[in-house]
Amino acid sequence: MNANDNELIDLPAISETSLTKPLVQSNALRPPAPAQPLQPLSLSVAIATLLAACGGGDSGADRSATTRLGSEAEAAPYKPLLGGNPEQSGPQPRRQALTRLPTPDELMNWAEKKFPSFFPGFETTRYNGDIVFRYYAASGNIFAILGQGVYVLGPITENRVVNVGTRADFAQAVAAELAGVTVNSDAEAVRFLLQAQISASESEIAEVRLKGFATWLDEQQARPVAQLAWDWMVLTGYTVIDTHEYFFNTLSGNKMAWYQLMGAPDAVRQRAALALSNFFVVSLDGVNDTMNWTSPGMANHWDILQRNAFGNYRTLLDEITLSPTMGAYLNTRGNRKEDPARGRLPDENYAREVMQLFSIGVNQLNLDGSVKLDVAGAPLDSYTQLDVSNLARVFTGYDFNKSFPRGVSPNPPNQTIDNVESARAPMVLDARQHSTLEKKFLGTTIPANTSGAESLRMALDTLFNHPNVGPFLGRQMIQRLVTSNPSAAYVSRVASAFNANRTGARGDLGHMFRTILLDDEARNPSGLTSPSFGKLREPVLRIAQWARTFKLKPIAGFWKIQNGLTPWDVTTSLSQSPLQAPSVFNFFRPGYVPPSTALAASKATAPEFQIVNESTVNTYINYLQNIVNRGYYDNAPSVPNNVNGSVAPNWVPTVVPDYTTELALAHDTPALVARLNLLLCAGQLSPATVTFITNALAIDRLRADSNADFKQIHVARAIMFIMCSAEYLVQK
Amino acid sequence: MNFINFEKHTRRAFLRRTGQLALAGTAAPFAINLAAIGEAAAFTATDYKALVCVFLLGGNDYGNTVVTYDDASYAKYSSIRAAGAGAAAGGIVLQKAALAATTLLPTAALPEGRQYALHPAMGGLRKLFNEGQAAVQLNVGPLVVPLTRSQYFGGNTVQYPRPPKLFSHNDQQSVWQSSSPEGSTIGWGGNMGDLALSGNTNSLFTCISLAGNSVFLAGDAALQYQCSAVGAVKAKALSDNFFYEPKMRSAFAELIQQSSGHLLESTYNNVTRRAIAAEAQVSSGIGAVNLQTVFPVGNSLASQLKMVARLIGARTALGNKRQVFMVQLGGFDLHDNLVAKQPGQLQAVSEAMSAFHAATVELGVADKVTSFTASDFGRTLSSNGDGSDHGWGNHHFVMGGAVNGARFFGAAPPVSVGDTAAPEDQWHVGQGRLLPSTSVDQYAATLAQWFGVEAGELNGILPNLRNFGAAAGRPDYPTNLGFMKS
Repeated sequence: MNANDNELIDLPAISETSLTKPLVQSNALRPPAPAQPLQPLSLSVAIATLLAACGGGDSGADRSATTRLGSEAEAAPYKPLLGGNPEQSGPQPRRQALTRLPTPDELMNWAEKKFPSFFPGFETTRYNGDIVFRYYAASGNIFAILGQGVYVLGPITENRVVNVGTRADFAQAVAAELAGVTVNSDAEAVRFLLQAQISASESEIAEVRLKGFATWLDEQQARPVAQLAWDWMVLTGYTVIDTHEYFFNTLSGNKMAWYQLMGAPDAVRQRAALALSNFFVVSLDGVNDTMNWTSPGMANHWDILQRNAFGNYRTLLDEITLSPTMGAYLNTRGNRKEDPARGRLPDENYAREVMQLFSIGVNQLNLDGSVKLDVAGAPLDSYTQLDVSNLARVFTGYDFNKSFPRGVSPNPPNQTIDNVESARAPMVLDARQHSTLEKKFLGTTIPANTSGAESLRMALDTLFNHPNVGPFLGRQMIQRLVTSNPSAAYVSRVASAFNANRTGARGDLGHMFRTILLDDEARNPSGLTSPSFGKLREPVLRIAQWARTFKLKPIAGFWKIQNGLTPWDVTTSLSQSPLQAPSVFNFFRPGYVPPSTALAASKATAPEFQIVNESTVNTYINYLQNIVNRGYYDNAPSVPNNVNGSVAPNWVPTVVPDYTTELALAHDTPALVARLNLLLCAGQLSPATVTFITNALAIDRLRADSNADFKQIHVARAIMFIMCSAEYLVQK
Repeated sequence: MNFINFEKHTRRAFLRRTGQLALAGTAAPFAINLAAIGEAAAFTATDYKALVCVFLLGGNDYGNTVVTYDDASYAKYSSIRAAGAGAAAGGIVLQKAALAATTLLPTAALPEGRQYALHPAMGGLRKLFNEGQAAVQLNVGPLVVPLTRSQYFGGNTVQYPRPPKLFSHNDQQSVWQSSSPEGSTIGWGGNMGDLALSGNTNSLFTCISLAGNSVFLAGDAALQYQCSAVGAVKAKALSDNFFYEPKMRSAFAELIQQSSGHLLESTYNNVTRRAIAAEAQVSSGIGAVNLQTVFPVGNSLASQLKMVARLIGARTALGNKRQVFMVQLGGFDLHDNLVAKQPGQLQAVSEAMSAFHAATVELGVADKVTSFTASDFGRTLSSNGDGSDHGWGNHHFVMGGAVNGARFFGAAPPVSVGDTAAPEDQWHVGQGRLLPSTSVDQYAATLAQWFGVEAGELNGILPNLRNFGAAAGRPDYPTNLGFMKS
């Protein structure tokens, strides 16, 4: 047992080193025996005071309490309370090969799930000095962790502090729960894969089933970035100054993003980057008149997202803030300090949107994502115009880093062109243009004459440490990966994961994504039968899934995926294209409630429905029909640019699907549909729909000896049926 | 405060809801109260009327759109806006000489010698104004109650509530359209549609959006049918040879329209079902309308308005007596490059609206169609160097043959950014963010009364209207602003 186990637990504000008195201790842990009557115990502690402190609200109040607990605790008989360890009694050998200790939150989440009668509902984690605990008002029990020790107090223990073991004792049980060790079926594996990444293959299914969700995911998150989008741009030739004028081109950035989503090998990372690109929005269409090299700049934006996808939010926020494309998009670039003589004031754009969209949102939030209300029932704003105007001063004095040698366009009028590195290097500060006024916002005061760098650090720290970030970001990432209307408890668990990872560190995005994907609400099969669980797949994700599932490949070397948003024929628009949102408010808003629907009646959010209407349901079908048989066409597949003004443009398939496996099944329609149902839908097509589609496809009367073109179109028809069905479109 | 009103709004709307969902094919949020049919007496008229909301996304800069022009005001404007990167070239100031060709000539002069000109790129709208086909509503924006600057800053938000989430793009778009921030599901355009449903043979075409999903056109029963600028989009696979066998084609059509017990699935397929049902009717309706009016090309707003004109031309075929439309143009959020970029934006608005008006003349419905502008918010009068930041009140245009044109409505706000107790500083809340002297509810009520909504029904559509007008003890904030001919 850990040394801490022999120390006194003191709630709250007593440091570990001051804990000297003997502690009530259990010798071992046993499987739960809640039906077993508890022995009467005598314990004279000031429970009432503790409860008042716990129930009193925020942790600040708890921190000020001084109630000592356990100071008069007696040696207690063995109390079988929690089933962390199956051994019966007596000194126990340590469990071998524990991967890691559970975090306090994981341990308490587990306890809530296993012993709902003792620890009912989902409670907020509270802190008191080094003690981490939750108080369950409904049962009156407290679950606490101090160092390695795990303690319980309340009616369950006759109101005495009982040590029920160490964190290590529970590691196995908690890990098993988290890992979902048993992946029960291929469909369960695919369901997970389609939330965690973009597509599913047979080998990935086998790997997930072998390793379990958690281990597989940890391995994927640990993989380094496969290829920087920037490097892809360089290799493809999109960063040279030549007659193609790539420095003015936005479409190469679009192709870059499509490549990452469709072809980059680190799909778990790409999926997280896509989700984050819906949160930290910069659009190809909004920066090209402010900077040269929009497309490499957007590649750098993607790289910031993918490099930090499983890193820390604070670093990500810093890099985003200083990235040239964000500077161009939300006007930090060229933003100058106030000029009182002339009445000029700093540009407020980034200051407002970094709060509204990239960190805390407009409303004060509870941990579970619900909005805090004032006495009149109105939402409490999280900032005021004064906060915006003050924060705006922080973002003054920045400009592109133009210290790199510039080039000259070979095309008339031979303009000077910035070095492409200026689109990647973080913006630089000109101290002369940085506001030296006091900057007072969100309770932080940056004194007058603080340097630009220090101001930025303090400002971003303030945003980072705001209690809104966890629930604000967490809920949106759940919406992106799992479900449009997560329960409050789910949001709480994810927000808690953001607030503290396994070592207590704040802002660990890998841990947050892990928590989202391994959460019971994401994994539990009950979601498959719920009438409201899940989300509409965003159009980009549908196409990227199609591409990966059918191993889309460029046959002449270049990934030339046409822009999805504004194709030459508007009746084939995908109504979405990566990194090309109409504004910083993205293609769809997290709080969008589709009017005039059953969802509106319950105020249920369904963000992706913001781009669903009588036009786009059909343009999606048309887009898919265009590519599903032969892939993407191009008139110059062997060069990175398109040939404009060709006299006889020869449009040929250039980025094409590989239907080899499906073609072999083409004549066996039930097998074909079963395979597509598994890979595309995680088996979520209902039996009735499977039958319907199978019967419809049988109309083709395809035979094993039918010709190859017929087989190909038959497979394409099968994919059209499935990918246009509502049971596919809604991912559960 | 606003939320509480919103709930009342919904309940009232429920009580008076009427109409049929002929083609709607959707689960309406509530069961239709059949007993209420017949209440919509206001819409038994046999004539045709349409409202067209032209939404300028991003928050249009009022200072350089309806530009103060008399010498005294212009001097203040010029001094305030001269600051900035291009100070030598005039900052974000429009030069007075450049405004001479677009001065507005109202039939009645404004008090205190105030004069305005439109942005030089807005010659088309200027012409319509001077010819009496358009009016300007000055300093209009969301208000819950009439508000003074000291009340705004006083902090008593119970007695003097502010509109929720001021200065936030998405929320103020939603507040303009529906009185509530993001997440709102019922707008005043849609509520007017609710009242019109029963008078239209085909209720689906009562509210038509060319602007994607906007809460403005969503009513309790009225849906927004979404049409693209090229008309109703068809899924090609339903008629071409992709599914070679007709039986397979029908199976595909059946699959994508099938009902489902899952909320998201059924919501999606409801849209598809509606789209398929409406497509042939819309296509054939607009196919019969050939406009001679030339619309500018490469102008997205013009393309949308052209389609609106064609749909209006097809009103008899589509079975409509009352319609509400919405179109939009993005790109107005000019924190930077205001002077460089706003001209193109405003030129697009001016040319598109002028062409649309000409088309309504061609169709013989100029006095039956009223267009009005709206935007997230106005912007600061202060310069941030080469642009302006999010504001509140804004100046807007109302256009059509039924408009009391060549007139200004509302009060011309003093040109000032000072933070003093002086009278000239009382109509902004800092940096020239206008404190509206007219509420969106008043603006909407004026349009609604022309459209045929009865006085007793206005409060059900516009939840804050009860705080304005003579009945509320505020005759200085009338519920009919007078810019529509009665």
